[in-house]
Amino acid sequence: MTELALLVQGLLDGSIYALIAVGLTLVYGLLRILHVAHAALFTLGGYVGVVVTNETGSFILALVAAMIVAGIAGMIIYRLVYQPILHLPPYVALIASIGLFIAMQEGFRFYDEQGVSYVNPPVQGTLELAGQTLQLAKIVTFFVAIILIGGLGLLAAKTRTGVAWRATVTMPAMAESFGINIIQVRYINFFIGSALAAVAGVMVSLTTNLVEPTSGDVWSYKALAIIVLGGLGSMRGTLIACFALGVLEAFATTTCVPLGNIQICLGEIMNRDAIAFAFLVIVLMIRPQGLFVRA
Amino acid sequence: MLRLDGMSCGYGDFRAVTDLSLEVREGSIFALIGANGAGKSSTILAIAGHVALQGGGITFENQEISTLPARRRVHLGIAIAPEGRQLFPDLTVRENLIVGGMIHDRKAEAENIERVLGLFPRLGERLTQLAGSLSGGEQQMLAIGRALMAQPKFLMIDEVSLGLMPAMVDVCYNAIAALRQEGITVLLVEQSTQRALDIADDVCVLESGRTVWQGTAAEARDDPSLTAAYLGLSD
Repeated sequence: MTELALLVQGLLDGSIYALIAVGLTLVYGLLRILHVAHAALFTLGGYVGVVVTNETGSFILALVAAMIVAGIAGMIIYRLVYQPILHLPPYVALIASIGLFIAMQEGFRFYDEQGVSYVNPPVQGTLELAGQTLQLAKIVTFFVAIILIGGLGLLAAKTRTGVAWRATVTMPAMAESFGINIIQVRYINFFIGSALAAVAGVMVSLTTNLVEPTSGDVWSYKALAIIVLGGLGSMRGTLIACFALGVLEAFATTTCVPLGNIQICLGEIMNRDAIAFAFLVIVLMIRPQGLFVRA
Repeated sequence: MLRLDGMSCGYGDFRAVTDLSLEVREGSIFALIGANGAGKSSTILAIAGHVALQGGGITFENQEISTLPARRRVHLGIAIAPEGRQLFPDLTVRENLIVGGMIHDRKAEAENIERVLGLFPRLGERLTQLAGSLSGGEQQMLAIGRALMAQPKFLMIDEVSLGLMPAMVDVCYNAIAALRQEGITVLLVEQSTQRALDIADDVCVLESGRTVWQGTAAEARDDPSLTAAYLGLSD
């Protein structure tokens, strides 16, 4: 197993973090809310992906359906949960978000407690790279993430809509002075962020072939820590933190270091999630403002 | 063009401006003068729709606009270069200008950028630079230029000269004079009263949110008690 293979494995995992964390950063950047319920939209995406694939046999259709359903759910969450309490201190929205997350989990449980699986799982198969087995689904996820996030970046940088969006994120009142409808921008923000979370939910379901009410929990907890690590609201910092964490996990779970006469293998002591959280906690203790502070 | 009728405004329970009445004539420059905390900025933020009215009304071109959302007022021709410039620091100079002209189409956008660069040639050398990295003078030019991108009939500029070198103040005031030539009505908020009196047609002096003097700039300059007591000027 070479370093190259581990690097690739890390980047593949990092792309899933990126799909989830970008949505969280979008919401935080615009509204200064830690959107914990984002995890539920990840799970919702997974459910829609599996159910639509099983019903229609089309994975592409399922992916699009998951994005639309989660996107609309995100807009509804903004309208019904966040918009009425935006004038209150941020912890109110945080508590509301946690409550909504739990409620949605219970909703999934009500729908199907055991979870759902693909009848004929799509995008299966593996590739060998330097002795490392890579799942085809993860490779596809990586390219989907690059296309979607890259496309979003181009939209933000090169179009008038993107410029209006970035202006609104920076200074909503001033943006409104120049005729930008900031409520509309918020809806678009929630739609895009939630749709990306849904893509992550669908793509992860390919590797696990199971979507259950708690599927999004660990991913999203990590994503929350990642956006803090990246410097809250900094998209660049978030993306760097996502891929850095993916690569760190890949190396830390497989690499052993000699300590005297014995070999210490971190992966045998802690699982990858524990390693990731330990890393995040240590970094945030040293640099609580995150690695990249937003201007 | 713009009329305030007994307007009061503020933030929550705090009242920043009390019972302010004034009229800005079309094509004129109106200077709103007063010390820090007098209520000048709150007044123009209320006109822009960012500070809630607590009484009275605002009429623009015979239309009552007190309840109109801020984003609708720019469509009527009202634009603002606010206190502290409030540029979008992570956006380039060109992008800041694009935001300013968001209510117009791309063709108008290109024409308006040319117009702004004609007024402030220095911005032409900074188009790809982030707004946050500009000097104070350049930021003020950009703030005025961004507001002009909306093709306003009525332009409000807050603290034009604050923190600027004299040469930059000249550039900004020359631009304001040029805008009057183009027929744009200007509401100027200033602490630096001499420059404001030199260029303004009409003046209102505020103190603690209330009007203490109102009249033409010529009358203000000729009133020694006013210049000594409120404007900090004396011969």
